[in-house]
Amino acid sequence: MSLAISASWAVPPVLPKIGGIDFKPPQGSRYVLDNGMIVYLMKDNTLPVVHITAITKTGKIYDTKEKIGLGDLAVSLLKDGGTLKYKSDDMDKTLEFLGASVETSIASEEARADMFSMKKDLDKVLDIFASVLMEPAFEDDKTALKKAEVLELIRRRNDDPAREAQREAVRAFYGADHPYGWRPELSTIEPLTKDDLKAYHANYYKPNNTIIAAAGDFGSDEEMLAKLKDKFGGWAKGEVKFPVIPPVKIDETRKVYFIDKDISQTFIVMLQKGVKRHDPVEFPLSITNEILGGGISSRLTSEIRSRKGLAYTVYSYFAKKPDYGFINASCGTKPETYSQALSELIRQFDLMKAEAAPDDEVKRAKDAIINSFVFRFATPFDLISERALYEYYAYPSDYLDTYVDNLAKVDAGAVLDVSNKFFKPENAQIFVIGNSKKFDKPLSTFGTVVEVKED
Amino acid sequence: MKSAILLPLVMMCAPIYGAETAPAPAESLGATVEKDAKFPPVVSYTLKNGLRLLILEKKFVPTVSFTTIFKVGNVDGTPGKTGLAHMFEHMAFKGTKTINSAGFDKEKILLEKVEDAAKAVIAEESRQTPDPAKLEELRKGLDAAEKEADTLIVKDEYWKIYNELGESGMNAMTSTDYTGYVVSLPSNRLEAWMIIESDRFKNAVLREFYRERDVVMEERRMGESDPNRLMWETLFTNAFAAHPYHNPTIGWMDDLKRLTRTDADQFYQTFYAPNNATLAVVGDVKPEEVIKLAEKYFSAWEYRPLPERTYTKEPPQKSEKIINVFFKAKPALRMGFHNPGYENPDIYGLLMLSEILSNGKTSRFYRDLVEGKQLALYASSGHSTPGDRYPSLFVIMAAPKAPHTVEELEAAIMEEIDKLKKEPPTQWEMDKVINNYEAGLVRQLESNSGLGMSLASNQQILGDWKFDWKVTEELRKLKPEDVSRVAAKYFTRDNKTTVFLREPEAADGTKAPAGPGVTK
Repeated sequence: MSLAISASWAVPPVLPKIGGIDFKPPQGSRYVLDNGMIVYLMKDNTLPVVHITAITKTGKIYDTKEKIGLGDLAVSLLKDGGTLKYKSDDMDKTLEFLGASVETSIASEEARADMFSMKKDLDKVLDIFASVLMEPAFEDDKTALKKAEVLELIRRRNDDPAREAQREAVRAFYGADHPYGWRPELSTIEPLTKDDLKAYHANYYKPNNTIIAAAGDFGSDEEMLAKLKDKFGGWAKGEVKFPVIPPVKIDETRKVYFIDKDISQTFIVMLQKGVKRHDPVEFPLSITNEILGGGISSRLTSEIRSRKGLAYTVYSYFAKKPDYGFINASCGTKPETYSQALSELIRQFDLMKAEAAPDDEVKRAKDAIINSFVFRFATPFDLISERALYEYYAYPSDYLDTYVDNLAKVDAGAVLDVSNKFFKPENAQIFVIGNSKKFDKPLSTFGTVVEVKED
Repeated sequence: MKSAILLPLVMMCAPIYGAETAPAPAESLGATVEKDAKFPPVVSYTLKNGLRLLILEKKFVPTVSFTTIFKVGNVDGTPGKTGLAHMFEHMAFKGTKTINSAGFDKEKILLEKVEDAAKAVIAEESRQTPDPAKLEELRKGLDAAEKEADTLIVKDEYWKIYNELGESGMNAMTSTDYTGYVVSLPSNRLEAWMIIESDRFKNAVLREFYRERDVVMEERRMGESDPNRLMWETLFTNAFAAHPYHNPTIGWMDDLKRLTRTDADQFYQTFYAPNNATLAVVGDVKPEEVIKLAEKYFSAWEYRPLPERTYTKEPPQKSEKIINVFFKAKPALRMGFHNPGYENPDIYGLLMLSEILSNGKTSRFYRDLVEGKQLALYASSGHSTPGDRYPSLFVIMAAPKAPHTVEELEAAIMEEIDKLKKEPPTQWEMDKVINNYEAGLVRQLESNSGLGMSLASNQQILGDWKFDWKVTEELRKLKPEDVSRVAAKYFTRDNKTTVFLREPEAADGTKAPAGPGVTK
């Protein structure tokens, strides 16, 4: 009976022999201006556009304790506060009419200024871009407006519980007083003055503290370099002072931090001590994380989502930092099943330590990362900014070129080793936001509970 | 002046596509190659079964992006089965008769047992007063049937294949209007993709349905915990009384609880036909190679007549709707005004209006509400939400800056619109919008996956892959008075739905404070 049906079945999909990917990321060109500014260029005439990014060494972790949020305010006002040459309103009018953009932003360890322009408007837009980096004016009304916006965002920081959970977990993990864990407060933003902003800019914004990467439709490297020299050549180099960041102290006894909130889903974030940037253990750890919770067929996804139907979102990743980073495992589930999901999360970490992953699983994880490596360089601008970023973060100059080889060396033994070295869920700091009235088990099942008041 | 941007685009475009002077080989296969230099040289080809291909060869690194868009979305569901389009989208990752299966002839029988057990559970759950003991018994039965079926599953094989191939951005999306499947691969995986995806849509097997339904319920709970999603759902369900844009794409929880694999199978049989799909392939591939492989692997996919898609038309609103939603988050608002849909040229006036109101820091909302009056944290707008297939809504989303209230903000927003009703926008404002659209046309050519999405969805939903270029043409035709005319026509109180997000009132009726550090 079943034969008749099977006759109409599709033949099993026999995939053609899949070879490796023979891809070496193009180099692009690197130059250093006399004032120390590093420039990466990649000419690309396929579309009449130019993209430029400037990466300046600063970041939210370099704020001081009394002025948390200063970096964010100063960097966003580089452009929004106008410059000595361009009033803010005029700048917006010019840029927006051209369909161009200049945007500035800050992350924990970098500040960026990004520029997009049609080829025909390059000179005009580049002049604005350079002015933004070198001579911001911090106009009073724009500064007041931006401050009010930052204050309002602080008031609204707990509107989305999923984001709240991630932020507060990291804060609990490093401590609210450590730069890796802190967040701006009304009291750290309100007193900031124009002098603070000017001093911030004067300290960090120097050519020898900035890397520029440009890709697009410029005539030649020489032509673009001449434009950059013209705009930035007169920018004086100088010393940059960075505050000393105290070493991180991580509580290595299990704690369960908890915010009680009446919402449909419970958000769980589990953090463990991770790696410092440039530790070559990142290669086996990358493969290990891909197996555990990084990839689309990872163990966490397979068990917690596909097999048990407990979560829509579940994943793990690790964050590298100058000092110890963290390993993050997160999921969202209904309060009635939170303990099942959390237990399974912990169990999967333990399983990684208990026995070596099968070779085919290790191979698949390696293939997944190695074969998709090319996507980091999807456009010429992606490629050149990636090159600039690896220099910015002080990786060896051949880091991207040896990356695949370094991953290829990882085997099941290495995966087991790093799992045993890094995975200590018994010491994890767990953060939970959800409606405790509906929890299937008390949180104390998982460790000492520290109730946090949402603020 | 206005077209100054378009002209260089084309000339400079040439190298990206390879300057071919001889007739493109794809043409000898019956494909059409776009020759008008205004557009990228997209190769169009339709298989006999109706599957349409759009191919653009683009070189930088050896990758290719695939986008498959089916014209089926939540709008095509049936009453009581909301969320089915999205549910099927999840099931499309569960394999075929040969992928994820250790032997489908045996597995098929076990899947039927699961289905019978699940239907028994749903029947009991749906009773006025379910018998708890019986329900538990039935659930155990379902659990046992699922475990038995598990023995013939090759877990996550579909995912694993793509993992090994080196996928990037593998995903799927369901909207009111369409369902899309996307993935990017190294370009030497072209044939592998053809083999897997043709099997996926010809021979889908909806295994592990009830667990995946639990996953979707979690997705819904995630949305319920997010005030933004809550506001959108509230806006659409209230603004649309009769048309199916009323229904949330994720589905009502109660409907999800009663969806069956049989429902999803029927949905698949009805809508997943080649003549209901467009496939865009953008990247380092030869169009003729794509066509040959598509013929080889997709031509056996059977053409099927599609059902009529005429749904209850939304009647004129004729009333102002104001909804207060209580949620533990700071206040915000969403507004919706019914638009006439894409069949009415007024839609372009509304698009222009939306851009004038909210595109950038020189826009009216930013200049007057965020900056001038300092009422708003943000204020934004869109001319067609939640869909484009049928008349939908012009939407406005905004949040007040404390100590200002949603009422003050709403009044200020309406004042901006009223100003435009009386006084047309300046030519500068309109030219800025057009310049931005023209720059956008160039920018969208940068990303393979982004361009693939735009080509395939414009073709499949709006009937023309060149739609974005057409929009720019339409915007150029508009006069400032046209903007005032549509503002007056559509922004009326009896066409308006407003959702206010408010913090829950305390039991004693006192209102939540605006937040720390706020002084009037």
